[in-house]
Amino acid sequence: MITKDATISAPAAPAPPAEEPRQRPGNKRRAWDEVPRWHIYLPLSLYLLFTLIPFYWILLFALRPAGSTSLVPWPMTFDHFDKVWNDRSFGTYFQNSVLIAVATLVMTTLVALAGGYALARFDFRIKRGFMLALLCSQFVPGALLLVPLFQIFAKLQMINSLGSVIIAETVFQLPLSMILISGFIRNVPYSLEEAAWVDGCDRFTAFRIVVLPLLRPGLIAVGSFAFVHAWNHFLFALMFLSDQSKQTIPVGLNTLMSSDSVDLGALAAGGIIAAVPVVIVFAFIQKWLITGFSAGAVKG
Amino acid sequence: MKINIHRTGRAATVVALGSVLALTVTACGDNGSGAAGDKGTEGSGKGEITFWDNNGGVRTDIWKQIIADFEKKYPDIKVKYVGIPAASAQSKYDTAIQGGGLPDVGGVGTAMLAEVAVQGALEPLDSRLKGSSLDGKLSQNLLDVSRSAGGGDALYQVPTSANNGTLWYRTDLFKAAGLDAPTTWSKFYDAADKLTDEGKNKFGFTIRGGEGAIAPALDAVYGQTGITSFWNGDKTTVNDPKNVAALEKYIALYKKDTPSADVNNDFTKMVAQWDSGTIGMLSHNLGSYQDHVKALGAEKFRGIPNPTQDDGTRVQVSNPVDGMSLFKSSKNKAAAWKFIEFALSAAENSKFNESAGQVPANTDAAKDAWIQKAEPTKLAAEALNGAGTKIVQLPYYLPDWNTISKSDNEPNFQKLLLGKMSAKQFLDTLADQLNKAQADWKANH
Repeated sequence: MITKDATISAPAAPAPPAEEPRQRPGNKRRAWDEVPRWHIYLPLSLYLLFTLIPFYWILLFALRPAGSTSLVPWPMTFDHFDKVWNDRSFGTYFQNSVLIAVATLVMTTLVALAGGYALARFDFRIKRGFMLALLCSQFVPGALLLVPLFQIFAKLQMINSLGSVIIAETVFQLPLSMILISGFIRNVPYSLEEAAWVDGCDRFTAFRIVVLPLLRPGLIAVGSFAFVHAWNHFLFALMFLSDQSKQTIPVGLNTLMSSDSVDLGALAAGGIIAAVPVVIVFAFIQKWLITGFSAGAVKG
Repeated sequence: MKINIHRTGRAATVVALGSVLALTVTACGDNGSGAAGDKGTEGSGKGEITFWDNNGGVRTDIWKQIIADFEKKYPDIKVKYVGIPAASAQSKYDTAIQGGGLPDVGGVGTAMLAEVAVQGALEPLDSRLKGSSLDGKLSQNLLDVSRSAGGGDALYQVPTSANNGTLWYRTDLFKAAGLDAPTTWSKFYDAADKLTDEGKNKFGFTIRGGEGAIAPALDAVYGQTGITSFWNGDKTTVNDPKNVAALEKYIALYKKDTPSADVNNDFTKMVAQWDSGTIGMLSHNLGSYQDHVKALGAEKFRGIPNPTQDDGTRVQVSNPVDGMSLFKSSKNKAAAWKFIEFALSAAENSKFNESAGQVPANTDAAKDAWIQKAEPTKLAAEALNGAGTKIVQLPYYLPDWNTISKSDNEPNFQKLLLGKMSAKQFLDTLADQLNKAQADWKANH
């Protein structure tokens, strides 16, 4: 079947001009070589400096003693980290944030995978309307739905439960995730699945063995979005959770700022604790993430 | 090849729609329990009550101590503590008023009292206070501010603490320049000029130009002119020609004696800038005392009440008052009131304010030794309760006050600093909005 499709779709077009494409890379290489290196590195260095200064500022405040005005974090102290982690319960907040973010990632990815597959592979009557509704849902801010969500979770006895935040985060992540995943699935030739059916697989097995491995960049893109969004989101955790033992990192960071006083050292240390998992996640997945974005951008 | 699932989809659509409707109906079917419509009950005076701290995090430790003391005295009552970040307290209350889940007791500052009270969520406390051991023990000035902020008809908040506008100044820089303490406005302007040396990045003053700029500016304006009332009949005095002149003089400090970055100063940036630089004076409140101690050490600065006029007349605007409110929807108001009474007792109120660095509302607590040792708090208490002090009551009771004093006019204040708007234009705009809000409020009361 793959062969047949390939045969049918093979164009009988005249051969393209042979020389021009081969010369283009060479020309580009020569043009690149002629550019003085500092034309490239100076703007990049300035941009890097501009990006890194705020991070340095956070590190400086987190690592220098309270009251110090030194521009280098010396003598270095970890008192601020100790304070936020132990005295201000950031250890607990961190665990809760990890749990919420990972659960949101898993639920969003699984449901988006199923929904995205349906959108990519099935025709149904309200498909266009459904796609439109998914897109429109992106224009609704979370704050607008706080009261109805609060009432629903109260009825379900889920207020002050991490489950309420996980469900709310997942629901808000799903529309965009489904649209993204459906784009990735459309890029996988349907004929591959059909070939697997011919070889005796049922639909689910064909999906699992043939399609799923090809969706890795897409799954990583969607999963990382879900993780980072759930990790950083403040509003639902603030509104649906009450016990201090169930709060998350963004809410904890907010409690470091009172109405008329801010402990900048503790705030900076808390900010680093909040940023580290996101930085690690992006450091590991950036290769697949870029692949995922470009693959998803091509309509199948 | 695509698969057509019109027929099977119909069943799925019906199930999905049914689920959505069921959830919607259950949500809409809320009987209002916990929301503003619920009248609540006195309850048994035992069991669990929930307390929301509107300054969660920084005040958590001291509240937990007070709760432990309370539970020791009343073993039949358990208090569930919920700390809410200060910046989000209003939205948390608003959501709970609409969606349910209000606490029994909550910390409600005067800045948000009107908006919470106007939604019918709070229990009037006049009669409870009258029959309580607290009667006559709380500062009358603060009770007046609380009553006024709640609309004037009833007491919706029992004050716990007062803050006060404080002029923090660097004693080391003043001494080096041979300047007197900036106790009057003349000395303040003189010091601001003499301490400024822009080439060496030294400034006499740092002005608040960003978020929260309006109240300190009004404090400076009324403090200079000595006008003692915010209203003259139904019209505000804010754009009185004397106030216009005072504001012109005050904002003329910007860039002349202050850093140019001040146009974006909220209190965080302003305090951080003062604590880490060489700036002579900072106008904030008592709340930043500990930040200054950490950054500068206790010997390099003093905190005094805002300057007086040359003849010693002290006029200042009312500062937000922190307090506790009882929520109408509480199912255990008797126990909730016991907790408020306990937290406001002399010993506990003293303990709380020593930790918060504020002036206790309980007059017995205000006599405690720690206040005599904490000079900024002691001077603030004297200024607040001084016989000669005139307090201009800002209209916290107007439901639109927060909008007018923040989102509507903070950008205008920045235009004023940048010279894109005159002081008269700024104050006339502010006055028009306030007069309209006052007329609306009066029409509804």
